[in-house]
Amino acid sequence: MELAQFPWLTVTIFLPITAALFIPFIPDKDGKTLRWYALIVGLIDFVLLVAAFYLGYDFNDSGLQLVESYTWVPQLDLKWSVGADGLSMPLILLTGFISTLAILASWPVTLKPRLFYFLILAMYSGQLGVFAVQDMLLFFFMWELELIPVYLLLSIWGGKKRLYAATKFILYTAGGSLFILVAALAMAFYGDVVSFDMSTLAAKDYTVKFQLFMYAAFLVAYAVKLPIFPLHTWLPDAHGEATAPVHMLLAGILLKMGGYAIIRMNLGMLPDAHAVFAPILVIFGIINIIYAALTSFAQRNLKRKIAYSSISHMGFVIIGIASFTNLGLSGAVLQMVSHGLIGASLFFLVGATYDRTHTLVLNEMGGVGKKMPKIFAMFTTCSMASLALPGMSGFVAELMVFVGFATSDAYSFTFKLIAVMLMAVGVILTPIYLLTMLREIFYGPENQELIEHEALIDAEPREVFIIACLLIPIIGFGLYPKMLTQIYDTTTISLTDNLRSRAFASTEELQPLAFLPHLQAPELPITAD
Amino acid sequence: MDFTNLASQLNAGIILPEGIVVATLLVVLVGDLIAGRASTRWTPYATMAGLSLAIVALIYQWDTATPLSFLGSFMGDDLSIVFRGIIVLSAIATVPMSIRYIEQSGTSLAEFLVIMMTATLGGMFLSGANDLVTIFVALETLSISSYLLTGYMKRDPRSNEAALKYLLIGAASSAIFLYGMSLLYGLSGGKMKLLEISQSFVAADSDAPIGIIVALVFVIAGIAFKIAAVPFHQWTPDVYEGSPTPVVAFLSVGSKTAGFALAIRLLVAVFPVVSEQWHFVFTALAILSMVLGNVVALAQTSMKRLLAYSSIAQAGFLMIGLVVGTEAGYSSMIFYLLIYLFMNLGGFTCVILFSLRTGTDQISEYSGLYQKDPLLTLCLSICLLSLGGIPPLAGFFGKLYIFWAGWQAGAYGLVLVGLVTSVISIYYYIRVVKMMVVKEPQEMSDAISNYPEVRWDLPGLRPLQVSLILAVVATSLAGILSNPLFTLANNSVSHTPLLQAAIDQQQAPKAVVPPVATIAPAVTSVAQR
Repeated sequence: MELAQFPWLTVTIFLPITAALFIPFIPDKDGKTLRWYALIVGLIDFVLLVAAFYLGYDFNDSGLQLVESYTWVPQLDLKWSVGADGLSMPLILLTGFISTLAILASWPVTLKPRLFYFLILAMYSGQLGVFAVQDMLLFFFMWELELIPVYLLLSIWGGKKRLYAATKFILYTAGGSLFILVAALAMAFYGDVVSFDMSTLAAKDYTVKFQLFMYAAFLVAYAVKLPIFPLHTWLPDAHGEATAPVHMLLAGILLKMGGYAIIRMNLGMLPDAHAVFAPILVIFGIINIIYAALTSFAQRNLKRKIAYSSISHMGFVIIGIASFTNLGLSGAVLQMVSHGLIGASLFFLVGATYDRTHTLVLNEMGGVGKKMPKIFAMFTTCSMASLALPGMSGFVAELMVFVGFATSDAYSFTFKLIAVMLMAVGVILTPIYLLTMLREIFYGPENQELIEHEALIDAEPREVFIIACLLIPIIGFGLYPKMLTQIYDTTTISLTDNLRSRAFASTEELQPLAFLPHLQAPELPITAD
Repeated sequence: MDFTNLASQLNAGIILPEGIVVATLLVVLVGDLIAGRASTRWTPYATMAGLSLAIVALIYQWDTATPLSFLGSFMGDDLSIVFRGIIVLSAIATVPMSIRYIEQSGTSLAEFLVIMMTATLGGMFLSGANDLVTIFVALETLSISSYLLTGYMKRDPRSNEAALKYLLIGAASSAIFLYGMSLLYGLSGGKMKLLEISQSFVAADSDAPIGIIVALVFVIAGIAFKIAAVPFHQWTPDVYEGSPTPVVAFLSVGSKTAGFALAIRLLVAVFPVVSEQWHFVFTALAILSMVLGNVVALAQTSMKRLLAYSSIAQAGFLMIGLVVGTEAGYSSMIFYLLIYLFMNLGGFTCVILFSLRTGTDQISEYSGLYQKDPLLTLCLSICLLSLGGIPPLAGFFGKLYIFWAGWQAGAYGLVLVGLVTSVISIYYYIRVVKMMVVKEPQEMSDAISNYPEVRWDLPGLRPLQVSLILAVVATSLAGILSNPLFTLANNSVSHTPLLQAAIDQQQAPKAVVPPVATIAPAVTSVAQR
């Protein structure tokens, strides 16, 4: 078929950045032409992505599809090699979707519009690249590529403490990505074959000790991005200062780079080490869920509140990854996509609210529900999605992680029991802080000062449209998750099979994961059957 | 008749490029004497034309069958051609920078050009010098011209101070270097040619006698002064700050390249007997340079001092390639020098342009430049980010190749130090970018609020504009389309018998692992398994 030969992924990756290069030459006075230009480019790219998905992607193939590989720098063994499997495809589509909506959401941006749209389009390319590339060096290249655009987007269009937040972001990320390069080099030069190709790297036979080092290095890099508990501190600052469209990109796509990379590299390439690290991941996942939920509860700043709720939700992704079951892994991927949509919608609404109230401090709000009924309704719906109301995608994802982890044969019963109980605590905390937040913004007595000083107009059609676009898939995946899971099922199944065959290879019977004795949950006499 | 006979016996055609430079030099000198001040209209262009002709001559000598000339005193192999090419290119790029700068200071342009071409000549001879006398004469030609250049602003006390400092420290280091060479002469029993000296050392068959080590230490002191490696760097910041900026640009690229050419030829040819020792010393120099250069640069307030420390750090990265001593190591060093040429000269061109328009070099005065001069902001940002190693700019590929080569050769400690310090370097490069791009109109510095209207039609600015744009385009594209440069760097190493012999020797008996590798014993032991 002719169409299968078309270089879909390369074209879609290069289209936004190439289009961005023409931005300085577009005649424009007030940014109105530019935003249409950027939106049209984003839309075309998204349509191309959907076309690629529709025409060239086969659900039943667990391997890479839409593969292209060209030699770039033979001296470094650097190849331009892209492809998509079940893991990348949903995230690539998500990137196209959220980026296009983010451009639509940046309608009110009037400061330095040329630079703004240039950077947004550059990020579009970079993020598609991260999910599509199949070469470790190229992955590192793409990973670093979004540093400067995000830095500038944060530091120019952000809030009051934007410079601090942007610098913190870039140092954390650059420091983390150093580990990617070190691990990539170490893995590529391991053994006789020097190669950076991801599937070759995955096929190499590493010793367990080497895997442990590599796993730790990757984990540090991706824990910064995802983020995992002690390395998360850049996120509330960056998210607290970002403007709404940038925020949508940060929460919707950037965080998923971490989860994607953990599944692709830590789980896919280093299965033996994963068996050792998985209990630690579960513990960190639980800390993420509970700690971030409690912190979110205490935040008085709206953006920081939602930022911490993002961290909390990422905890489920970590636990899903560590569950050793297909259901759990599947739930982790679903949670990433679902949080991409929900996080983007919530942050967009926070931005929309801020545009009207001009404050993010909850104490200065209150009772605005009457004046802005549409925003109130949308905010409530998205919060419900975020607290995992049945019928929404978040519920399905979290349930899958729960069931996947609870039915996992890799952990001892006590460990699972305690872990599930603690996760459940997190699930209870989420509605508490989200509903409290809603009450403080919209219900209660009207804040007189706010009503008098700010023009609280209701949502305009553009904003309703954006939220509608995000809510349709949220509810769609919630009602019929197979729509999404069928895209990646074959891939996650083969990943889990590989993982299980490696991790449990040593013994015939499935042993509880206890490579590190002190991490084994204590066997209480009551539950010891 | 005798003359042609003599010329062919000496194989004098090899120094044709140098001959062209001498001819140009004489034309400019005599032309200036005859025409007086009026000559400023054509002398810079004549200089550029002459130097370009020298480049063409160098290209024609690529892969010449008989590289040895002047009875073995001068070596025209591919390695020397690459280094001579880089030096000449840096001289060509310096010319357009200096036209306007020298004009404004009211001194004679032709004399400046003549001295600069003399320095170029010294550097070129140094790159190919193959016996002790030629080395010293070439080195002094380069050094003395450099002293003159740094003090070229006769009426500026800071320029005088810089020249005096440079002269005193330079003379001292030359003396030490000369003493080292005299030791070599004596220890080898009166040999002059580099290879003969090393043969006599091998013949003596003593395992690293103390005499050779003393000579090595003195020689390294001389070289380290030229390449400004820590702890021989103390002159750099003061000289860079006081000297005319075009001179700094030439020193930071041309003079440094000559120093590296000298380092490769002298160390590889003369000191194979003590190769472990000099590898150790250069490992230490590399680490010190990277750490100190990058850390001290954080605290600088003057742009020229910032670039001074950055150039110290960049020399540290370059030394990694020299230390690992593999084919990829040497190639990566040459590749990085080629790229460093574009990005550093591009950066200096921007600094000169800024100081021409505002008369200051303070970093704080750059704040808000984006509002007044977007083109200059873009160019300086690209050059600085490239120096910081941000993809997709050329510097990223340069650093990647160096780290790649270092890891391949097992210099894990060096690579780790390099990676960590390059993350630090991102901070100070991006600080300048932040100053220029992020600052709001009301935060503009005085220099910027009085910024003159951007005009390119003043005398001498048009060539500056052209060279700036060429450098920036090269910096942005040399990474993405880096294949020709990679091939050039690789060929220059693989076609040079001297380096090939050294590489074979290093690989044959024992893989020399630099002692620093013990910094990361764990990673080393794991990776080697």
